[in-house]
Amino acid sequence: MDSFSRGSGGNGSPELSTDQLIDQVKAQLAQAYAEEFLEIVREKCFDKCITKPGSSLGGSESSCISRCVDRYIEATGIVAKALFNASQSQSNFF
Amino acid sequence: MDASALNSPDLQRFLNQEKEKAMVNEMVAKLTSVCWDKCITSTPGNKFSSSESACLSNCAQRFMDMTMIIMKRVQSMQ
Repeated sequence: MDSFSRGSGGNGSPELSTDQLIDQVKAQLAQAYAEEFLEIVREKCFDKCITKPGSSLGGSESSCISRCVDRYIEATGIVAKALFNASQSQSNFF
Repeated sequence: MDASALNSPDLQRFLNQEKEKAMVNEMVAKLTSVCWDKCITSTPGNKFSSSESACLSNCAQRFMDMTMIIMKRVQSMQ
């Protein structure tokens, strides 16, 4: 992985500026979050949609999976919004 | 790596922000997982029914209420 060798070190030793470091961490974090999310969605939708694994993925199974992914993303939004609203009203007590 | 880049206040601020974001992300992910299991009992459709979306929203809020109650109770025991 040569992603660390973008620096300006003359003899090949990598030198990262703070901004470059931050950019790299951001990219890696985004990737990690995406992978985590994928893992969860995969598990949930397998549970819901593949009730009797056959010798291939049926059409109804495929469309169920599509809908399931959309719904799970929607559910994440609903939960995030509810959490945000709840934390807003709670800050009035402290 | 140039060690001075690690000491920068910009980096510290960024890392603290990302730590907070990660905590929030974890909470949302866990809650969505729990509430999905509780609320979405049938095969996913093209949209949520109003009872499903209400359930999801309520679930998240009740979970937070419960967290508060638990915290206060444990605090009162100490």
